Amino acid sequence: MIMKQNNPGLSGIRVALLYGALLLILGLDADKAQALTNDDCLGCHGDSIQTEIFSATVHGGNGCVSCHKEAGAAKDEHPVPMSPVNCGGCHERVAAVHAQSMHGKAVKKGDKEAPKCHSCHSKHEIFRPTDPRSSTYPLNIPATCGRCHQEGSSMTTTHKMREKNVVDNYTMSIHGKGLYKEGLIVTATCSSCHTNHNVLPAGDPKSSVHRNNVVATCTQCHVGIGQQFDKSVHSPLVTKTDKKLPVCIDCHSDHTIARVDKKDFRLAIARQCGNCHGRYSSTYLETYHGRASMLKGGERLAKCSDCHGSHDIMPVASPESRINKANIVETCSACHPKANAGFATYLTHATHSKEDKDRYPYLYYTFWAMTGLLLGTFAFFGLHTLLWIPRSFIERLKADRKNREKQG
Amino acid sequence: MNDSSAMYIERFNVFQRFLHFLIIISFLTLAVTGMTLKFAMEGWAQAIAEAAGGFAVLGALHRFCAIITFIYFFLTLGMLYRMWKASGKSLAGFIFDPEGLVPNLNDAKELIATLKWFFGGPRPHYGRWTYWEKFDFMAVFWGIAVIGSTGLALWFPEGFSKLLPGYWLNIATIIHSDEALLASGFIFTIHFYNTHLRPEKFPLDPVIFVGSITLDELKHERPREYEQLLASGELEKMVSKIAPAAWHLMAARIFGIFVVSTGSLLIIAIIVSMARYLGGH
Repeated sequence: MIMKQNNPGLSGIRVALLYGALLLILGLDADKAQALTNDDCLGCHGDSIQTEIFSATVHGGNGCVSCHKEAGAAKDEHPVPMSPVNCGGCHERVAAVHAQSMHGKAVKKGDKEAPKCHSCHSKHEIFRPTDPRSSTYPLNIPATCGRCHQEGSSMTTTHKMREKNVVDNYTMSIHGKGLYKEGLIVTATCSSCHTNHNVLPAGDPKSSVHRNNVVATCTQCHVGIGQQFDKSVHSPLVTKTDKKLPVCIDCHSDHTIARVDKKDFRLAIARQCGNCHGRYSSTYLETYHGRASMLKGGERLAKCSDCHGSHDIMPVASPESRINKANIVETCSACHPKANAGFATYLTHATHSKEDKDRYPYLYYTFWAMTGLLLGTFAFFGLHTLLWIPRSFIERLKADRKNREKQG
Repeated sequence: MNDSSAMYIERFNVFQRFLHFLIIISFLTLAVTGMTLKFAMEGWAQAIAEAAGGFAVLGALHRFCAIITFIYFFLTLGMLYRMWKASGKSLAGFIFDPEGLVPNLNDAKELIATLKWFFGGPRPHYGRWTYWEKFDFMAVFWGIAVIGSTGLALWFPEGFSKLLPGYWLNIATIIHSDEALLASGFIFTIHFYNTHLRPEKFPLDPVIFVGSITLDELKHERPREYEQLLASGELEKMVSKIAPAAWHLMAARIFGIFVVSTGSLLIIAIIVSMARYLGGH
């Protein structure tokens, strides 16, 4: 505007007034209005800032001084060191959330390694999370978090981290395979479960990964499963108890979630369920399904969930239960196509042990009758054999002597 | 006069040797595959399943050998039928033949005489079948009836449970499993010792593979049979100068020792596993 002032006839007063009014509107004093431009900054920092990249970032339209305010205040050379950039000046809400998170609290405590905004978002290469160039693009998130949360990073030596090899485990998990192998950006990454700015320890009741919130967190994506689970015996909506009810991670784990139809998961089912249902798990292992499960190929045999269901487990009395009388033949026939009502009365968890004596006396007494037969037979013939041993030695010596005499 | 150490007499004919061969092959396979399932929590069992290619392979082998078992069971019945017909006796006369395979009062007397012999008395005057041999033979029959019927129930559980309630499958499992323990335990220790491993025979009595023993052995081990054969004039007809071929003896020794070793290893594994199991509970 001033440059275009091509009428020298206008008085200098008029120019000054206009200028003064402009400054008043901007609320700046005359010195500062002449502050540094990006070109001024690049005069020194040209080597460290790639302008083509920066101009494409979300902040590309902003001048350097809009973030580096201290530099903006300087006339020529800014003070060194400058105080850190305050993203919260604009991103107020996010900054407030971050401040309450485990990361934010650590920053506040003065932990120099604690993640600030730029630790995840970078400084001058901030793109939208939907932009593949962004460090917070789904495909890049595990690597971003893994800069600290993976063995080998300096963070793991300076800080006590409860979870080990998080990123490696994640990468091997079904979510990690979904992301890296199948290229699915809708798969869960770190922030899908832990949130992005509100990362809290699992022990914190407000954490998205606290036991009480896990179901809600997982069912953000697994909606259908959530609907089934909410009606099952394992849901706190159905079972009112002081005991710990299982949530998703108790059976599926957290960072090592595996495909449920694959060997590793299937072979772990009895143990997983056994964490709470110990007696049923051990009696299962005593019967054919469990025994054969321990041998190669055993993943094919019936596991807890094949008969009881998984997310939709109902009380036996419920007509919706897979092991309810009305449904059990159908449940068995998944593996035994010729199953019938009599067949379904096979006792999958019954043992001949003392604990089961009152419930299944016929098993208990059959076992002890057989054991008596064994002990009796072995006692008799065992003794017979033991007594025979010295006699047999003598007979052998006699025979050998006779042979020698014959030959001699 | 012929040298009785160079005279041979047939104890088991070719068919009987073949039957015992079938028993060895099927019994050993049944025992190994079955015990692998029974002791699936043990490392050795898992190694066997791994080597075999999975529990399904073991299951198939087990069922195949069950069929062989039923075959030799009926072949044995057929053999007994032919022996009965050839004997010209009545059925009762054949079954309760004092020198037959069914235990009788004389066996009780022989048992007592044997116990005396162990403590220094004279060697009993054994006949064609000793009481422990009769027990082996009868035990196979009792064993096959028990283990075969329960095994069939477990093989065809859907059909079986149309006849009896499903929980009978639980009972069948216990009986099948414990009878198997009894049978393998008995064969791999008592039978092996009585027949092969006792110092007089160690490491193997090849008669069940080569068929014949020397006349000397007959006189010494089964004097009553020898006397009976001599008295009836049968001995003259049966005795032969043809010794078992060297290759035949060698093959019998290799096969027999392999089988006895395998059974012994299995029974050691079973005993160790049971001790661990009982100790851990």
